[in-house]
Amino acid sequence: MKKRLAFLLAAGMVLSLTACGTSTDKTTDSDAEQTDMAYVQEKGTLVVGITDFAPMDYKDDDGEWVGFDADMAKAFAEELGVEIEFVEIDWDNKVMELDGKTIDCVWNGMTLTDEVTSAMECSNAYCNNAQIVIVPVDVADQYQDVDSLSGLTFAVEAGSAGKEEVDALGLKYTEVKAQSDALMEVKAGTSDAAVIDSLMAAAMVGEGTGYADLTYTVGLSSEEYGVGFRKGSDLAAALNDFFAKSYADGSMLEIAEQYGVQAAIIEQ
Amino acid sequence: MELFLEQLPIVIRSLNVGFLQTLKLFFVTLIGACPLGLIIALGSMSRFRPLSFVTKTFVWIIRGTPLMIQLLIIYYFPGLVLKNPIWGSGETGRFVAASVAFIINYACYFSEIYRGGIQGVPVGQEEAGLVLGMTKSQIFFKITLLQMIKRIVPPMSNEIITLVKDTSLARIIALQEIIWAGQAFLKGSQGISGAIWPLFFTAFYYLLCTGLLTILFGRIEDKLSYFK
Repeated sequence: MKKRLAFLLAAGMVLSLTACGTSTDKTTDSDAEQTDMAYVQEKGTLVVGITDFAPMDYKDDDGEWVGFDADMAKAFAEELGVEIEFVEIDWDNKVMELDGKTIDCVWNGMTLTDEVTSAMECSNAYCNNAQIVIVPVDVADQYQDVDSLSGLTFAVEAGSAGKEEVDALGLKYTEVKAQSDALMEVKAGTSDAAVIDSLMAAAMVGEGTGYADLTYTVGLSSEEYGVGFRKGSDLAAALNDFFAKSYADGSMLEIAEQYGVQAAIIEQ
Repeated sequence: MELFLEQLPIVIRSLNVGFLQTLKLFFVTLIGACPLGLIIALGSMSRFRPLSFVTKTFVWIIRGTPLMIQLLIIYYFPGLVLKNPIWGSGETGRFVAASVAFIINYACYFSEIYRGGIQGVPVGQEEAGLVLGMTKSQIFFKITLLQMIKRIVPPMSNEIITLVKDTSLARIIALQEIIWAGQAFLKGSQGISGAIWPLFFTAFYYLLCTGLLTILFGRIEDKLSYFK
């Protein structure tokens, strides 16, 4: 009984191995010399990796993805003649998602840092942003310039532009998984201050938000947002052309005004 | 308080959707891993040495590496290395990949529990079967397996309760289970941003689920307390 079972199991393993072998051979042939644009057009869908990040990508009341980035992505997909699909990803795994072809681009208010530009094929910058310091309202007046920050412990998102800033200033910091976690740290008092994007801070911090008792003080640096594609992809150049076109005909600013980010848009 | 009451229905709806995903992953894993675990257990007890060696090595690798890494490998490896993203990018693909990782991982843990249960049945039971003229497979299914089941209930309930909570690891490949759903409100989702309580509130869902399982396994143990 056991021996018969053993044989069956062994046979099963061998079969599954060969099955794997054949299926992989097939695809490597077909996409050997294909450009990324041809790949996307052939499958008919542009898969956009995002996180829930107002006002760039977020869900409206009907559960549809909207926002400045989402709407621009929809327009770009239309230009390419393909469908669009938004997929929520874990931000830490964005490069893996791209290279593993589970997404085709990262279009989510992504700061063009060295880390990003070396791992991805990036579009031109399309939006300005700044890294700003978040502190509780009741102590805000003590921290109005960079010099006053030295004694504080910061919470920053791992791999973010904010982390690079506090690193460069030689400040004490803890890395957390997301910018929102950094805010939670400040609110919970486990960190004295956080550094996050100004666009995000405008939406999340201050009166009428969940973080009414936090506020922003010093701006540490300014930076730019871009869209990331797979390394070597020809889609980045295609998007640059699209940006130039939609900036020229005013449609880009029109979308930006809907989401209140028109002041931050960069001329294409 | 007013703000809380306003947020409550939105948060609960969103957590329910996440918890449904958690439960789906839980049941799929259970349904897949229970039988697969038995096959692995038989493989590792086989007297055919190459088979037991391969199975034991496999169990060692799976039990010896973090489930989080296994999830990352199973989801990203086909696309990154084999250049064939077999799982696709949507929610379904992520769920299937997570299920595969969980089934393999839990089958290996279950297999060791099964092995303990099978080997814990006294040799005298098998010998009695032989005396009665039963065949080897009759002995296995009617004597050994039957007695194994009641022996493994406590360790299995332990492992299954762990599984309920381990499903939260699947968020590493962006499977939107309940922790993911709770965390979304921290950052901002559906007009609520900076809400910390939904994340902590998810704990009640887990407690409820494990509470029900504890009662269920208590009942099963009572039912199976024959042969005493």
